[in-house]
Amino acid sequence: MLSYIASYLVMASIYGIIALALNFQWGFSGLMNFGIGASYMLGAYSAALLSSAPTAEHLGGFGVPFPLDLVGAAIIPGFIAFLIGFPALKLKGGPFAIATLAIHEIIYLIVHNEMWLTNGVWGIRDISRPLYSQMPQQYDFFYLLIAGGMLIGFYFFFQKAVRSPWGRVIRGIKVDEDMALMSGKYAWSYKMQSFVLGSAIAGIAGGLFVHYTGFVSPTNFTPLMATFIVWLMVMVGGSGNNRGVLVGTFFVWGVWTGSEFLTDFFPGSMETRAGFMRMFLMGIILLIVIITRPQGIFGKEKIIPKYLRSE
Amino acid sequence: MIGPLVNGIILGSIITLGAIGVTLVADILNFFNFAHGAIFTLGAYFTYLYLNILPDMGSMFSLSFGGSMLIAIVLSMASTSVVVLFFDKIIFRTLRQRDASSLFLALTSLGLVFVMKATISMIWGPQVHYYGSIQSAIKFPLGIRVKPDEFFIVAASLILVLVTYLFLKYTRLGKAMRATSDNVVLAQASGVGTEKIVTWTWIMSASLAALGGTLYGIEVQIRPTMGWSFLIPMFVAVIVGGVGSFGGALVGGMIIGISEELITSLLQDMFLKLNIRVVMSAYKPAIAFVLIIFVLLVRPHGIFGRKGG
Repeated sequence: MLSYIASYLVMASIYGIIALALNFQWGFSGLMNFGIGASYMLGAYSAALLSSAPTAEHLGGFGVPFPLDLVGAAIIPGFIAFLIGFPALKLKGGPFAIATLAIHEIIYLIVHNEMWLTNGVWGIRDISRPLYSQMPQQYDFFYLLIAGGMLIGFYFFFQKAVRSPWGRVIRGIKVDEDMALMSGKYAWSYKMQSFVLGSAIAGIAGGLFVHYTGFVSPTNFTPLMATFIVWLMVMVGGSGNNRGVLVGTFFVWGVWTGSEFLTDFFPGSMETRAGFMRMFLMGIILLIVIITRPQGIFGKEKIIPKYLRSE
Repeated sequence: MIGPLVNGIILGSIITLGAIGVTLVADILNFFNFAHGAIFTLGAYFTYLYLNILPDMGSMFSLSFGGSMLIAIVLSMASTSVVVLFFDKIIFRTLRQRDASSLFLALTSLGLVFVMKATISMIWGPQVHYYGSIQSAIKFPLGIRVKPDEFFIVAASLILVLVTYLFLKYTRLGKAMRATSDNVVLAQASGVGTEKIVTWTWIMSASLAALGGTLYGIEVQIRPTMGWSFLIPMFVAVIVGGVGSFGGALVGGMIIGISEELITSLLQDMFLKLNIRVVMSAYKPAIAFVLIIFVLLVRPHGIFGRKGG
């Protein structure tokens, strides 16, 4: 039971990192990125391929050790986001969301079809799990230290980032882009920085994911599991509020893992349908939040500079 | 060369039916409806439901179906509209009254995708269904092979597109819809009831999507994910044609359908000659996306776009 809770916390921490990255792009910079799952997937596959032993099945054999390949898991999605940003950031609002969704679908198609690169639907097995042989029993607890530590680190990083002068410009562009332009801030460049930074950090979460499970396949990155659930976490917690997003993440991931128990009550013949019950639940949560509490549980955080606070 | 062109026209007419719905909602309700693909799927499944209930009336001409299919299509269009209006009443109307931003509405529609897809999968199961038997193609000169059903698909799309066009152009309600899309405040001041316009927008959008889904079911098969894979081509058709432009949706839909088929087959031939092993048909959806980038770089408001800013 304890190790079950630890494994829940590990996955929630990994999703928490993606949710913080999305919250930075959406809640603070106003970029409606429906392709956040693509960065997560790219990071996961980058880490898997960089760290894997040589094999005939797919690209690999670079033998980059664990913490270093996370750098690759950040650089590759970050660089691809940079390339995508040139055409996509010309668009605003809905069309931007459509473009990022389309990119997600294309990257998914490539990962799904190109056997030589990613081994297609069979996925990549035997990804190194750091220090697993030393403590196979307590591995969830050990990995929780890594993933939870990274989550806490990124939380403080984003809290600092949005309060920095740079973060102020980013938030200003979300509110009024023309005003930012008039103040001599080149909005496009700041949006690009936010897009690349968020994608790179979602990529790191992907790297953490593959080293935890030791296996990765395209089914881990369906639109529901890679993108929508992350959006749900941000919306439930309150976009533009990092603390709220953390609470939203642990709540949504709790409902998701908890609903797995519910499906056990269904008879075997209903099992595949019970899986869709969980998908239904996720969609309904979003609709309920949007209708009853559109700002999320916590709402947007008011960020007031220290010298303006009244007490 | 001509084979892919024919396939492209068939695909293009199905995309057009969806794209008109997307463009109407984007224009009048002011958001990109990500649930449109799910509505498309729902329509196909409603037709499947009614086909199984209705008595078999044999087949007409040399089509693989008959009168019961036509009745099923009409019933499916009506049922899909009712479901969509139900979602509008409980969700989108609340958001409209709250003056929610268009991004918020788009996100809500994304949530609706999963609710609808999960419901369809729970009722009908995740497996593939067929309306009827598979039909053999008729051979024409120049190596063209067309199934009789495919004539029906193109004809039915063209007729419905024409009816929609005439409706928007000449009826009182159609004129009111166009007025609302131009200027909501001015239309309201002239006595146009916005809620009535919204209701009719949903009915037209859902009916055309239901027909599109059914036609795709006739051509290929029905499965719960079919609409999701049509979503991006529909959006691309709308953006290529220009948001809110009826003719744009028609031309955009045809451009996407034909270019997806033509470019895939041309690239496949090229790769074969160069001895590169790539299965191009797997990347058909990617072509729509490359097109969107090209069009948006050259003409940011689409070919027929009329809105500035």
